[in-house]
Amino acid sequence: MSAAEVHLDRVCKRYGEVEALVEASLALEPGCFLVLLGPSGSGKTTLLRCLAGIEKVSAGEIRLDGRVASGARTHTPPDRRDLGMVFQDFALWPHMTVLENVAFPLKRRRLTRTASGQRASAMLEKVGLAAFAARYPHELSGGQQQRVALARALVARPGLLLFDEPLSALDANLRERLRVEIGTLAREHEATSVYITHDQAEAFALGDRIGLLEDGRLVQIGTPEEIYGAPATPFVARFTGISGSLEGRLLSAPARTPGVGRVLIPSTDPGLQLVLEATVMAALEPGAAVQVVLRPTATRIIRSGARAAVLRTVIRDGAYHGRGYFYVLGAGAQVDFTGVFDRRRFGRGESVDIYIDPAGALVYAADARTPARPLDADAVLEHTGAPAGSYGPRPSPRTPGLTPSMSMLHQEHLP
Amino acid sequence: MFVVLGLLLVVPIGAFLLVAVSPKLFVQGTSWLTLAPFGQAFSGAALAALGRTAVCGVGAALLATLCGLPLAMLVHRTNLVGRRIWSVGIWALLLSPSYLVAIGWERLFEPAGVLDHAGQLLTGVATFGRGPLYGPGGIILIDGLKGVPFAYLAISAALPGLGSSFEQAARAHGAGRLGALRVIVPILAPALWTALAIVFAETISDYGVAATLGYDAHYFLSTWSLYNAVYSIPISFPLAASIGVTLVALAGIALLAQRRAINGRTYRVLSGRTRPHTRHQFGRRGQILCGSAVTLFFLVALGVPVLGAVSASLLSSDGTIFGGFHLTLNYYAQVFSDGALITPLLYSLKLALICATVVTLLSVPVARLLTRGGTGRVGRVLDLVLLGAVALPSLVMAAGYILIYNLPVMHSVGLSLYGTTLLLGIAYVAGGLPNNARILIGPLSQLDDGLLLSARSHGASAARTWRTVGVPVLSRYIVWVWLYCFAGTFFELPISEFLYPAGKFPLSVMINKELANYHYSEGTAMEVVAVLGSLMIVALVLGLYRLLVPHGWRQVGATRP
Repeated sequence: MSAAEVHLDRVCKRYGEVEALVEASLALEPGCFLVLLGPSGSGKTTLLRCLAGIEKVSAGEIRLDGRVASGARTHTPPDRRDLGMVFQDFALWPHMTVLENVAFPLKRRRLTRTASGQRASAMLEKVGLAAFAARYPHELSGGQQQRVALARALVARPGLLLFDEPLSALDANLRERLRVEIGTLAREHEATSVYITHDQAEAFALGDRIGLLEDGRLVQIGTPEEIYGAPATPFVARFTGISGSLEGRLLSAPARTPGVGRVLIPSTDPGLQLVLEATVMAALEPGAAVQVVLRPTATRIIRSGARAAVLRTVIRDGAYHGRGYFYVLGAGAQVDFTGVFDRRRFGRGESVDIYIDPAGALVYAADARTPARPLDADAVLEHTGAPAGSYGPRPSPRTPGLTPSMSMLHQEHLP
Repeated sequence: MFVVLGLLLVVPIGAFLLVAVSPKLFVQGTSWLTLAPFGQAFSGAALAALGRTAVCGVGAALLATLCGLPLAMLVHRTNLVGRRIWSVGIWALLLSPSYLVAIGWERLFEPAGVLDHAGQLLTGVATFGRGPLYGPGGIILIDGLKGVPFAYLAISAALPGLGSSFEQAARAHGAGRLGALRVIVPILAPALWTALAIVFAETISDYGVAATLGYDAHYFLSTWSLYNAVYSIPISFPLAASIGVTLVALAGIALLAQRRAINGRTYRVLSGRTRPHTRHQFGRRGQILCGSAVTLFFLVALGVPVLGAVSASLLSSDGTIFGGFHLTLNYYAQVFSDGALITPLLYSLKLALICATVVTLLSVPVARLLTRGGTGRVGRVLDLVLLGAVALPSLVMAAGYILIYNLPVMHSVGLSLYGTTLLLGIAYVAGGLPNNARILIGPLSQLDDGLLLSARSHGASAARTWRTVGVPVLSRYIVWVWLYCFAGTFFELPISEFLYPAGKFPLSVMINKELANYHYSEGTAMEVVAVLGSLMIVALVLGLYRLLVPHGWRQVGATRP
């Protein structure tokens, strides 16, 4: 069968008062591999189940190959959607052998018994389980069960493949290996695939496109590069990996977003602030309260006293990872930067200077729920620090002068 | 513990079964070793009764499983309205003794019964229904309905492992609704076979229906033949024993057939990966349709016998129910004023309260012994004894008690227990212990040893550990075991029939005696008072549990809506 074209148009799903999915819209070209990423309860399973036809949508429309599969008055049952699905618990029928499990979806292709058996065997061969055809699921290991589930989903060459966190029950090593297999086999079969996970590494490794879900809302969808490089919200940035975050006020905003601006980060010394160059992601006025989230790749340990150094931090913890070390650096009582890589070995309590790459320091409007955590005054280096009031905002088209909020900022910090 | 179990179960039962091949050993004949009693058991009336018993067993097992499967699915896997009420209904059916259910049906349909007094239309219904009721159909119906709770519980136990994803996987891979059902039902096969085997074993060992409806319909069953062999002249313990052995063998065959059918496949579907199932959401039409079906089931299973008993107890000998002119409460007044009627009620109540407490106190250590690892061969023997005792008809055990405690040697050593309330009480305890200990095995095996060990390692003595950790965690199950045993003993028939002391009639014996003497209204009034009284005690115990027991105790094992 040919790969399916998938369209979701403002799909909603409610369970009583609970809105599990809120106006989710997306369009997938045939053969695309979409990974839906989000924390537990974000609505990704609901979206997948709506796509499968296991759940009826409360509002909106799902079109498969242009035909409405779910809508206000239409609901095509799962068995008529031409799909294959890998379940989180694998859902292998325990009373059927491995071969019977795999041959099951071929019933809808109306093949002869022999042809069906041959095709199922060939599929098992492909996933390396030909020798286990006569076994029952409980006689297999977790990884083997997962392969059977994958073979069952692929064998009938469905137009749409759905994966419901298929690797979450497996250990890390196996997960890595099977992730590659899933990606390879799904692309070989040229089916459109939708894969849900809460593991960002899995999402970036597998997806042609990645969709981020938060509280039932599809907050961003794009290529892995777009998602990593320009996360639409702090939530997307945090969920796709950050090293730490800082709170402050925007000193100068770029003409266009995203663009480089400057942010004032307060320290424990009311008279001393850090001036940090960072990428402003949203249209913000100078003086606005902001949060700066740092990608792990943006934070680098550099030579002590180097001109590029931004902060002086303390090594809080380190973990050896073969090619080097991942450090946790402290720059204040509650300011930590995690996952900072360096080949060199530093001891706990040692001071190191760090450079923060503006491209990986992403500025968003402050979240009222996040309390401001000031830097330790000792962490602010002489050339990057600014006595409060010494810096005025740079003129910008949107902010010709000092805004009232900026004046207040200065007044708050003057002794 | 082993001495107690040996004296209570192994010796009397073993001796009784041994009589079948060695009558002289227990002064019951002249042969040391003979198979003649089996010749008798497999010929003439006894053989015919055995055939009827097997037919009724198979029929009841099928009926119970056919009703229990959809009922369990509806209660556990859908949003059917009134699920809690239906669960209570199942327990009510489980606790109602088979002879009371049979009596209810009989009072409605018998010639000159309640329906015959209720106008022409219902007289027609009675005439139409009487034929099938007084025969194998009626016995299968009543034993089958009584077996539904066993089937329901066996299937319900398997349902948590049947996550929705099995069905969804079938649908996602091209199966329609029916196709998905064809995939799901075989996964439940072990539970279905278990249900069939349990109901079959329960039916063939049941004495209540055999002694009431079976007797009245002249459709004699094996348990009746066994009773007859012990209580009719010429008394023949060897024949009774050979019938007993045959019944045990039949139950054994059922269990073997179950094992063979499952063929070692106990599908390990319950794992850390299993996602909890989601309830199927019925629309209004589905609710009405399925709700009506379940209501109809309970009307037939519980409503009909209750209606039969209550209406018969209210009906004066020449009255009609719906005319309203000849209804009377006289028989209830008689129950409370006539010492001959109230005494059995109080006698059984006293015995039930004592025996339920003793059985509960013994069940916990026995179950603990069975669930503790490292008991090896001893544990396996204990397990086998208890399992055998569960499958054994109570009648066989009661006959064993008569045989052993009526031996001249017992009197000569000063153990003159035969014909005393003490022996009746001991037999009740012996009858209740295997079932209740096995009920507690489930919860006890789930009691993580770590809970107890952590209490011990934090300074609690063994007694304090059990008082502060074991009992609170198990309290819900202990209360249910007590209630189950209380109701079982209060209405117990076969052991009572065999072992009641002269002139001291237990409740069940007195009800049967009244009915046998054609005092239908008095008998049924007594039955209604007894049922209401036991329900009040159940409500009182549950109420006290709710009021007095700390909130945390009640959280363990509680089901979430």
